[in-house]
Amino acid sequence: MPQPEPQAAAGTPHDVKTAVLVSSGRHPVSGRAGRAREDARAVEMGLSLVGADLSLVHAGDPEQASLRECLEGYLGMYHGLDDDRDGQLSLLPLRAGEDALPLLAAWLERSGVRLALTGQRAECGEGSGMVGYLLAERLGWAIATGVAAIERCDAESVTVLQALPQGQRRRLEIRLPCLIAVDAVAEAPRQSAFGPARRGRIETVDDLLPADESRLDTGSADWQWQPARARPKRLKVVKSTNARDRFKAAAAKSSASGGQVLTDLSPEEAAEKLIDYLRAEKILAQDDQ
Amino acid sequence: MSVRRLDPHAERARRNRLHPRHHEFARPAWRWTSADGVTRINPHALGAIGPNGIKRIDRSGAAVEASPAGGASTSAEPARRQIVIDQPVGHVVVVPELPEGRLNDHDRDLFGLARQLADGHDLAVTAVTFLSGVSGFEDAGADRVVDLSAMVTEGYDPEPRLAALVDVEAALSPRHWIFADSLPDGGDLGRRLAARLLPQSASQGANASVGDARPATRVWQLSEGKTLSRAGDRQDILRDVARVLLALPECAEPVSETRHEARVIELATMGGELSSAANEAPASGVIDRGRVAVDPQEIPLAQAPFILSAGRGISDWEGYHHAARVLGASEGASRVAVDDGYMPRSRQVGATGTFVTASCYVAVGISGAVQHLQGIAKCQRVIAINNDPSCDMVKRADLALIADGDAVLAAVCERLGQPRDQTGSDGSWTDEESRHAAA
Amino acid sequence: MLQTLLPILIFAALAVGAAGAVRRTRLWRQGRRTPMRWHRLALMPKRYLNDLHHVVARDKAIAHTHVATAGGYVAAMALALVVHGFGWRNPILGGLLLAASLVMFMGTIAVNLRRVNPPAKLSKGPWQRLSKSLIAYSVGMFLVSLPLVGVAPTVLGGGVLAIVLAAVLVWGLLEMVVGMGWGGPMKHAFAGSFHLAFHRRPERFDDNHPDASPKKTHDVHRGSRSTALFPLDLTAKTLGVEKPADFQWEQLLGFDACVQCGRCQSVCPAYAAGQPLNPKKLIQDMVVGMAGGSDSRYAGSGYPGIEVGKHHGGPSDAIVPQLVEAQTLWACTTCRACVEECPMMIEHVDAIVDMRRFITLERGETPEKGAVAIDNLIATDNPGGLDNASRLDWAADLELPRIQDRPEGVDVLLWLGDGAFDMRNQRTLRSLVKILRAGDVDFAVLGEEERDSGDVARRLGDEATFQRLAERNIATLSHYRFARIVTADPHSFHVLGREYGAFGGDYVVKHHSTFIAELFDGGRISVTAPAQAESVTYHDPCYLGRYNGEFAAPRQVLAALGLEVAEMERSGYRSRCCGGGGGAALSDVPGRARIPDMRMEDVRETGATTVAVACPQCTAMLEGVVEPRPRIRDLAEMVADALVEPTAAMNATSAPSQSREEEPA
Repeated sequence: MPQPEPQAAAGTPHDVKTAVLVSSGRHPVSGRAGRAREDARAVEMGLSLVGADLSLVHAGDPEQASLRECLEGYLGMYHGLDDDRDGQLSLLPLRAGEDALPLLAAWLERSGVRLALTGQRAECGEGSGMVGYLLAERLGWAIATGVAAIERCDAESVTVLQALPQGQRRRLEIRLPCLIAVDAVAEAPRQSAFGPARRGRIETVDDLLPADESRLDTGSADWQWQPARARPKRLKVVKSTNARDRFKAAAAKSSASGGQVLTDLSPEEAAEKLIDYLRAEKILAQDDQ
Repeated sequence: MSVRRLDPHAERARRNRLHPRHHEFARPAWRWTSADGVTRINPHALGAIGPNGIKRIDRSGAAVEASPAGGASTSAEPARRQIVIDQPVGHVVVVPELPEGRLNDHDRDLFGLARQLADGHDLAVTAVTFLSGVSGFEDAGADRVVDLSAMVTEGYDPEPRLAALVDVEAALSPRHWIFADSLPDGGDLGRRLAARLLPQSASQGANASVGDARPATRVWQLSEGKTLSRAGDRQDILRDVARVLLALPECAEPVSETRHEARVIELATMGGELSSAANEAPASGVIDRGRVAVDPQEIPLAQAPFILSAGRGISDWEGYHHAARVLGASEGASRVAVDDGYMPRSRQVGATGTFVTASCYVAVGISGAVQHLQGIAKCQRVIAINNDPSCDMVKRADLALIADGDAVLAAVCERLGQPRDQTGSDGSWTDEESRHAAA
Repeated sequence: MLQTLLPILIFAALAVGAAGAVRRTRLWRQGRRTPMRWHRLALMPKRYLNDLHHVVARDKAIAHTHVATAGGYVAAMALALVVHGFGWRNPILGGLLLAASLVMFMGTIAVNLRRVNPPAKLSKGPWQRLSKSLIAYSVGMFLVSLPLVGVAPTVLGGGVLAIVLAAVLVWGLLEMVVGMGWGGPMKHAFAGSFHLAFHRRPERFDDNHPDASPKKTHDVHRGSRSTALFPLDLTAKTLGVEKPADFQWEQLLGFDACVQCGRCQSVCPAYAAGQPLNPKKLIQDMVVGMAGGSDSRYAGSGYPGIEVGKHHGGPSDAIVPQLVEAQTLWACTTCRACVEECPMMIEHVDAIVDMRRFITLERGETPEKGAVAIDNLIATDNPGGLDNASRLDWAADLELPRIQDRPEGVDVLLWLGDGAFDMRNQRTLRSLVKILRAGDVDFAVLGEEERDSGDVARRLGDEATFQRLAERNIATLSHYRFARIVTADPHSFHVLGREYGAFGGDYVVKHHSTFIAELFDGGRISVTAPAQAESVTYHDPCYLGRYNGEFAAPRQVLAALGLEVAEMERSGYRSRCCGGGGGAALSDVPGRARIPDMRMEDVRETGATTVAVACPQCTAMLEGVVEPRPRIRDLAEMVADALVEPTAAMNATSAPSQSREEEPA
């Protein structure tokens, strides 16, 4: 769908070079490769900010079968923009077990990016959400996480809204260059269309670092990977020194068993009950008159 | 004492597939496809043991885990043992979230995890807080408390906080740091600290400790000196306990049997040289410009905390919209109300619309089609206002008021001092909203 | 004087008309070219007299009017050419010419009578003028030919009357000859005949086609129901239709043949529901786009809620949104009622899907829920985004035989469709399984290897996803041996049976209504008459009826149950859509009314207490109508309930289905 972009309309400086770090996503149900949900939102944010000037970068194994399809998912988002340039993605080739960090840092420095967007966590691999922080630490950039929208961007800084629980927002001003981790509540990504995806270019950049430098990621060598187990439900443990209390607590009906039903109420009584309940549950403030 | 006991023999047999008795202990899958292609479900491998010791499999979707507020509290809690650690050999630092200035369940879980790491090693669990005057550290399980509120401001200022934590690192050299893996709070700060600490550890040489230097994120279990952390793509990582742990809710049982001294300590007295990173901090990269008032109608329905939802029982739609404004609630609707054109499609709640997670859901004039009930399965509290006491929504509701929806909403507005004819469509949601934030 | 003027007039009109025709032809040929097959022109007379006329003849009065007017005109024009043009002033020919003019005049009177208070579906403007022009032409030609048989007063040859007569004749010729080439209403005759000759779906005219209906009444298709969408070449430079010139030239020609009779408009469910779609206006907009200009000269009903005259287009300008709003395209349910009614055999649905393809594949602007469904199809092979492995969960207790365990092959492969994820449809499927077992049918299912057929993706314009699903399904099916596929979903039925052929998947596919009818015919199942007779009506699903011509079997099944069907006014090939096809339930374009509500009104008019359906989509849409309303029951459910069990042990299968529905997932 076409995205209104009120925030970008006010004098977006197209000279702030913007890039999105994208990763390969996994569908939560089928496990099939595709756009990562937060990364796609980051691309959406970037596209509404700078349009087709947005560049994409991915560090990954070019041999991996599903990679092209997955990256095309991001390139397919280059539509509905002011100009119809095709999307472009820099692929930094990475063998299994290599650390992506030096490559990404070198690419960001070389390409003069001042605003880098990414999702908060990758959907495959370790998914620690550390890449952004490590990059920011290494490059000396500012970083903000949980960003729901970019309000304004000028040559010096970018103003964003950070997502807080239950739909609340906080406004932050971040100095450039910076890295922004986009939250899952940001504007939904536009559809990835087949045509632009087919035309988008994937360019392999393999001269970023000297070949002899060891980039092996040794940190995770002794980790054991295993299929995710279902997390056990926490049991309600009844602590009591006396058996009668324990018995009573154990024999009590589960909390799911029906609620309170109040009949034969006048509207005013019902309104009072409702307000009392909402106040008791702290949905409405006590002093509310 | 209802401590869950693990049988180490069983655990070992379960892990070792070559163990002759492995099959007895291996947890079977609860669903599999049999040789003749039929999906089999083993009910014995499903569900959880209820409080009365009977296995319960709950598929209703109606069950809400949260116990009703205030009710069914533990009546006679046994006295806790007092634990004092005078001379700890090291620290396990916990940085609790403290939303609204109080310890929440997640924070207590973090302390539980910290106790598991500290107990038996003569380590102190040290709480690091950016707020002053927080109570409850004793029962949560903190031996020491470091109050850093003087070094930081309210709001979101991660960089001074990080500098303060670096000071703590310099002063205490904690064995472990434990954060709540929640964004944008503890998860953010923990990752910043981990990123700051990592280059130091890495520069110490590529020895065995490098693995520990990488933070463990989304940790959800600690057992036998290893942590399990959830990775992407439906995988878990089993690894040695890292220096920085970012833990999920329910990562450990909270402390329940002991009480700790929660002695406040000053960093300066700990002897470690203060790097005073805060003093030489460069111009802050991130400046908090304050909370933004959010119109409840603009919050995506799936995240809205308080929803007033309307169905066919509503005929006075203006009154309904007004009531939503007065209550500061986001508007929701049943499918029929949307189909009839009274509400936009984006407001439809249910399996065919939006799955909502409100902490309070008020259904006015909604009888509760199956799809609708599926859509509100995750709501903590449901209030039904309906003329029909036999409808499914009333059965589902925690509080059901059998009355006419239009009249009740009008009476609510009246009682709250904003009857419809007096207040126009003013922007009264803003102050309602601030009340929300406070509540 | 007229004697000398007439040949000049006639030849001048023909010459100017021909010049216009050449120009018109150039307009058509802006479209994508296909190899020219001139010999097809020879097919035109038969297609006109046979196929086209049977559609027209569904309205007898119009058919007679048109025969008289058009026949009279063609004869009069040909004779006038000989008599007046070439000057072979034979009294017999003259008499024939007079007769032809008279016949035409009589037709013209009927046309004018209809135009006194024209029904809302008719366009006015030039079409209103045409009725007068027809009089001018026929009267003028009659009067000017009277001297040929010697009955005319000679004063006609000169003086003021002659000038008046000449003027009337010039008017007639301008409309009837020049206008034909230059885009007046009479262009329908010229474009229409070429359109018939070069129609993109020649099977529609093929009486000997294996799919052709054996009955030859006006109400059935003469030829095959050629209803499969054309595959899209995914390597083409542009995907789908962005601008009028992206259509195939035959399509542009077809648009130009429109007579604006409004039959499509009167049957379109979206138009009736007040959604911004009017098939007639859409076709006229395509003509505007082809010729360039604005739609301000359009003189018929517009799109509900969209003002006429604000849109403009050109052959190389994008259609959406300058010429047609996207909402218009997304309102279509692809029910093909317009195509079925169109006397000019125009293919509206093809055009709409072509334009949707561009919007989805190039612009990525599928309506929100449609885009979600497509993403789900890509990721999970079903539009709900559910775990495909749970496709058989509802049947855990049924022990459905898997085709994977039957390498020797089975008779019937039961294709479940995406209804397998829907609790309501699971009841239908359970009933169907019960019937198959009662009929001792050797059947099996694919289980989690089954994917969505791709119907929704294709109608939403995502041909790439459709083709991917089709290829995977065909690859899966190629591993197994079965004689035929039976499905309870008409959409799967249509796609598997008609559209997979283009991708190498040729199967015998039967809808469950057909299959159950066969079981009855073969005496393999028996039923008891219902205890109390209920009044039943039957709703024809578009994809079963109009798309695939299966009107009889469901009614046969109901008859076998001892039920009398109270037919709705719009049933059979004129059945009104439930509103759920073509992704319309996903795009959910707002209108005045909801299509299923209108359809339920149709049901209520029959007084039936139960409406029998044969499609999961129709079931879902109709059950979405607020109660109280007639019950909605699938044919399979009705049969299963009346089944006389061959063994008592089968009783167990239907009982749990009732309670399952109540259970939230």
